Amino acid sequence: MKRRAILAFMLDRPGVLNKVSMLIRKKMYNVDTLTVCSSRKAGVSRMTITLREDDEAKVQQVIKQLEKFTEVVSVKELDTDHSYWREVAVVKLEVPASHLESFHGRYNFEVLEQKSADIHILQVAGSTRRIDSFLDEVGQEHVIEIARTGVTALEK
Amino acid sequence: MTGKHLLLRALKDKGVKYIFGYTGGAIMPIFDEMDKMGAFRFVMSRHEQGAAFMSQGISRASLSTGNPQIGVCMTTSGPGAMNLATGLADAYMDSVPMLAVTGQVATGVIATDAFQESDVVGVMMPICKQTYMPLAADEVEATVHEAFYVANTGRGGPILIDIPKDVQNSQVADDYQFEAKSYRPNLPGFYYHPTPEREPLQRAIDLINRSERPVMFCGHGVVNSNAGKTLLKFAEKVNIPIASTMHGLSAIPADHPLHLGMMGMHGTVEANRAISEADLLISFGMRFDDRVTGKLNEYAQNADVIHVEIDASEIDKNVATSVAINADVYRTLHVLAGDPMLTYKPRRRWFEKIEGFRQVMAEDLRQEIETGVGDDGKLLMKTIVHQLSELTDGQDLIVPDVGQHQMMAARFYNFQTENSWFASGGAGTMGASLPMAIGVKLARPDERVWSISGDGGFQMNAQELGTIMEQQLDVKIIILNNGYLGMVRQWQTLFFDGRYAGTPMQSPDFGLMAQAYGLPYRKVETLEDVIPALQQAIEHKGAIVLEFVCDPSEVILPMIPAGGGFEDMIVKRPGQQTPETSNSDGEKS
Ligand SMILES: Cc1ncc(C[n+]2csc(CCOP(=O)(O)OP(=O)(O)O)c2C)c(N)n1
Ligand SMILES: [Mg+2]
Repeated sequence: MKRRAILAFMLDRPGVLNKVSMLIRKKMYNVDTLTVCSSRKAGVSRMTITLREDDEAKVQQVIKQLEKFTEVVSVKELDTDHSYWREVAVVKLEVPASHLESFHGRYNFEVLEQKSADIHILQVAGSTRRIDSFLDEVGQEHVIEIARTGVTALEK
Repeated sequence: MTGKHLLLRALKDKGVKYIFGYTGGAIMPIFDEMDKMGAFRFVMSRHEQGAAFMSQGISRASLSTGNPQIGVCMTTSGPGAMNLATGLADAYMDSVPMLAVTGQVATGVIATDAFQESDVVGVMMPICKQTYMPLAADEVEATVHEAFYVANTGRGGPILIDIPKDVQNSQVADDYQFEAKSYRPNLPGFYYHPTPEREPLQRAIDLINRSERPVMFCGHGVVNSNAGKTLLKFAEKVNIPIASTMHGLSAIPADHPLHLGMMGMHGTVEANRAISEADLLISFGMRFDDRVTGKLNEYAQNADVIHVEIDASEIDKNVATSVAINADVYRTLHVLAGDPMLTYKPRRRWFEKIEGFRQVMAEDLRQEIETGVGDDGKLLMKTIVHQLSELTDGQDLIVPDVGQHQMMAARFYNFQTENSWFASGGAGTMGASLPMAIGVKLARPDERVWSISGDGGFQMNAQELGTIMEQQLDVKIIILNNGYLGMVRQWQTLFFDGRYAGTPMQSPDFGLMAQAYGLPYRKVETLEDVIPALQQAIEHKGAIVLEFVCDPSEVILPMIPAGGGFEDMIVKRPGQQTPETSNSDGEKS
């Protein structure tokens, strides 16, 4: 199913996040990630929702339902061609340092800490697909623990 | 000044006259202040759900009139607040603006599972248009003003304000200021489009001019925006028949030659068949719910759809539109009614066809109404409603409950007064009628109000007879007693091989009940007594209870089975001819 991103700005009032998550459950939307941060404007939060949906009308429904919230300032869909979708993963890996070397330059990661000869904590940033392929190449079997932020997006 | 005082001051500024409710620990300070101020008429319900429906009655009956008021109810925390939930969910489904104020435990003990603490905002959030919990006295007044604005702007809906007890009691600073007159809510993203845009309007006009078999839909939005007369003007100008949703009833005179009556599950044959055959549907202020459309992929397959609706999220939700007009119904109709490009067409063949549809059941219905009793000699509901309609010239205000009697009232009362039908529709809440009728009566004291309930629903909020007694309200109460939860029984007859699980019901002596509340009562068992009894109710000054002993086997037809399409419409009584009972998906009514 097609992956979509919806960007919403909303007043930072109590219960707004609760409302959004309730809407997702109530309407049974197929949401992948939901990230919230503050925006440039005081009192206004910025929310990125990614979901899987092929049906155009359903995506429009999500947008219209969000627009109904009195706290919501604006909502729109971001298409992949005209926006950047990025996330960050923090990964604890059990792998020889030499193995990691080979990925330098090809992937954008940073070693936050080397805990022992072959235990590393890395930070990887990029598109969801890029992070997935990094992990595949390193070898999922080497991953001890992983934390991913979920997608945030910005229009070009 | 205290939070409680500012709350009440704001309500007064917003024109609130009645407060419905029930006291308790967490709301006492506000009740006490209300008493001191003496600015409101307090109406104590006998159950908080009653208070919610009374508030709905005020709003439903008054908001489209010259004397608009938003219904307000107030209850204590915990159980008091929870008892409002059904009434709020009902208001949300039916787009009824209203305000519920609930007391909450003090901020210091919130989240400690204090006595009568419930997460009221958490529970009500998905069934209210908006919920608030002011945490300081100086937020209270602005919150109330915003609540009224949100409740009644665009598509209406219920609002809840949950006020902790310490916020009610605490003082604002000496330099506190609030200007009710100049107040504007700070909601940058909360907008709606009242005026239709020209481009879609033009496409709509082209479609209308081209159509051969159009049908116009009159929904709740027509009633709410007081647009009945404008709708008729437009319909007459282009000569297009009108079908009403259940909530659209009473927007136009029911017997107007262009009116096809109600559409949907229990709609008329002529409305439903016309919709099936239409090449264009022009719908005003409605949301194509499943009781209206039946099976979606079979719905009006050859028709273009023009959808005029104030709530953008309803457009293209269930039915894909050809032209979407996201605007106020009245304003759109006003433009259309005056548009010189729209042309009148005789549509002779279309109207002849519709007349043919009307004939499918016309004779059966006429005979049944005339016979007036079923095989067992008990009264038919349709005859009682028909007689009531005749005696009152279709002028009175009708507040039905939920069930067969509701559909009978919808179909057989000949509505002549604009906005005279107040029914729980989207939620279909049994027990809504009696308390809602109280609100309706207070909002429109000079008009006659009939609460019509089944034996089942009447007992769901029968305690509000106490409110009627205490407030000395002139509500005419009709109980259509068929000894069953009739609507469910009808489904059992048609789709469950006549197994009547959980539907036969023993009722108390309604006469003794009426007597207990000091109300006159009359039991009607014969056809001859129907008119005299109704006449007595009309002549009596004050509330009266009339019980009619009705035939449990009467069914409301036509019926499109839940989940079925218009082709599955049942038009013959069971036994009269084998009904087509395909397509029931076992869904409950
Ligand atoms: C609160 C509530 N509970 C259950 C139902 C399901 N239901 C719909 S109609 C109906 C029967 C109503 O019986 P009665 O009030 O006697 O009216 P009748 O259909 O017999 O006219 C029931 C149980 C409902 N709509 N509301
Ligand atoms: Mg009954």
